[in-house]
Amino acid sequence: MTLGDAVEPLVHIKDFRMDFGETTVVKDLSFDVRAGETFGFLGSNGSGKTTTLRALLGIYQPTAGTLHIGGKVFEPRDGARLGYLPEERGLYKKEAVLDVMVYFGRLKGLSKHGARAWSQTYLERVGLADKAAVRLDKLSGGQQQKVQLGVTIMNDPDLLILDEPTKGFDPVNRRLLMDIIEEQKLAGATVIMVTHQMEEVERLCDRVILLKDGTARAYGTVAEVQDQFGGTVYRLGYEGILPASDLYDVVRDGDGHAELAPAVGADETAVLRELIGAGVAVRSFATARASLEEIFIQVYGEQHEMAEV
Amino acid sequence: MARTAFKQHNLGTVVGFEFMRTIKKRGFVIATLAIPVVFAIIFALVYASNSSTEANADAQKNSALTFTYTDASGLIPAPLAEAAGGSLTTNPGAALEAVKNGSSEAYFAYPANPATEPVKVYGADKGMFENGKYEAVAKHLLVTAAQSRVNAPEVTAALSGEVTFDAETYRDGRVAGGIGSVIPPLVFLVIFYVSMILLSNQMLNSTLEEKENRVTEMILTTLNPTTLVTGKIISLFAVGLLQITVFLAPIAAAYLLFRDSVALPDLDLSSLVFEPVPMITGALLLLGGFTLFTGVLVAIGAIMPTAKEAGTIFGPLMALIFVPFYAVSLIISDPTALIVQVFTYFPLTAPVTALLRNGFGTLGAVESAIVIAEVFIVGILILRLAVHLFRYGSIEYGRKLSIAGTFRRKELTAK
Repeated sequence: MTLGDAVEPLVHIKDFRMDFGETTVVKDLSFDVRAGETFGFLGSNGSGKTTTLRALLGIYQPTAGTLHIGGKVFEPRDGARLGYLPEERGLYKKEAVLDVMVYFGRLKGLSKHGARAWSQTYLERVGLADKAAVRLDKLSGGQQQKVQLGVTIMNDPDLLILDEPTKGFDPVNRRLLMDIIEEQKLAGATVIMVTHQMEEVERLCDRVILLKDGTARAYGTVAEVQDQFGGTVYRLGYEGILPASDLYDVVRDGDGHAELAPAVGADETAVLRELIGAGVAVRSFATARASLEEIFIQVYGEQHEMAEV
Repeated sequence: MARTAFKQHNLGTVVGFEFMRTIKKRGFVIATLAIPVVFAIIFALVYASNSSTEANADAQKNSALTFTYTDASGLIPAPLAEAAGGSLTTNPGAALEAVKNGSSEAYFAYPANPATEPVKVYGADKGMFENGKYEAVAKHLLVTAAQSRVNAPEVTAALSGEVTFDAETYRDGRVAGGIGSVIPPLVFLVIFYVSMILLSNQMLNSTLEEKENRVTEMILTTLNPTTLVTGKIISLFAVGLLQITVFLAPIAAAYLLFRDSVALPDLDLSSLVFEPVPMITGALLLLGGFTLFTGVLVAIGAIMPTAKEAGTIFGPLMALIFVPFYAVSLIISDPTALIVQVFTYFPLTAPVTALLRNGFGTLGAVESAIVIAEVFIVGILILRLAVHLFRYGSIEYGRKLSIAGTFRRKELTAK
């Protein structure tokens, strides 16, 4: 049986609650991840993302709620079909790269020969072929990350859970990582990705959930979340000084370009009239959806501001 | 890539990985090989020393001692003294002076009654070890003279105490084994100590390593923690067996091939008695004790964030396996003493105390059954606790684990 054989969504979380002592980290969280989709799990630091993933994978015991993968609670014996890249990275640092990869390959059910062959091919691809016999602690942080990613995907997992996969990667290797994730997706894997890189989410993810203080603030396709949360924005090219107004909030401003979030009931005409009336020379004006980054800043900026107060 | 149905074979994989990476470590290789190398060096030195000693003995034998003597007792026959290199003198002062000025090697003055007066021995100084031969020759001459006078070697031997005794005791109508029956069960105690000394540190670090390397999450989503801990214990046991084999190999080789040259005592294995009940009891106590201490060490590894912090508990814990030796005389002579009873039943001192008492035959059948059951039950419970703590505790990177916290979490889940 593969993880995706179940009738219900591949990942099903309902009314999940997690307490650590007196502190509630996640409360009444519910969402599904469908087989074959790439799912973005978004939220600021401490919002409960990693806790949710750990509870989903049985590393934490949930306080309450249902957390299912493939229709049942995850057990380590299902690990042969899972690829998990945790936030806390680490492998056996004093062992040789190839030995560690073969070990994990064996644990995930590959034959010794199969694990060795796969590992050598992967190391070749990521430019670490000459490091196969080198101890992991002799590699740079980025190189160790590549090895860990290899260990994560070497069993062609049905479900790939990546907790901040690009952390520690330079732009070139980030591109390589994204290519590998896309390959897994094309091969049929379901991907759950925790990231703060919104452009990656917009490029890769079918659906997303935004977590804040342990509760879901937005959930759906990227477009649905943009509509649900950010709605539309006006992108403006101008000369002069933008006035404060009840008709809009200035989301972004600089170098003669700005993004304005219209207030409820304000339309394009009213906003344009307001700007021109204030002496602003409008060179261009377009309506667009708010980017996920804008939504993210909007949602978590409130938290940041409150923290500062 | 093709998606295949994989078959998992994890216990063997864990055992193989843990075993191979342990024996491949440079530190392990050096530490393991150091012992046989030290043995080989000692044997070589003993061999060389023995050759030199034999050469010296031959030289001493060939160079006869010349001495003068006076005999107020009249016990020393002149031909016997002459054969030993002695010549009778009637002038003690001149004889002593000759020794002092180096013209004579030695002078022995036998008193009228050697039973009440000392035999005076004078000799030219030839160093601490060589000087001993004067007294040896004087004594040998007197004993030989007395023996020739009695003309009965058995009487002389009896008088001088040079008689061997062969004791035989009976238990339940059958011949008891004596010291020959004590040694075999005590071998289990030796194995217990050797395995603890060699492996305890590795047991402690085996689960700490996952935590310190931040590899726990990868492991816990791939492998059942019970399988991991069991695999580690089996691999440690295999490592211990390998070490013991490497340690014993040169001794066995020296015993079989160069026994006389390296002065190894000739073991009379026929005198050993392998009584089934103490042997089975010893084996069970060893296995139970090993399980108990392994569980405790793995649990400490799961609780503590680093090896350094685990060391603060590790030291006192290991001291507990030596504590019973403070009361060893009571353990052997008075097993009903309160302290012996406490040591027998307190889990962390029970294996050593019970193994000692089992060896010396003071552990009754009921006590054996209770202690064996206790160490196995407590050992398995602690191992289960250790797996639980690893399962829910090893994720607490850099933090000391609250044991109660891990259970509290489980209770909440059950609600």
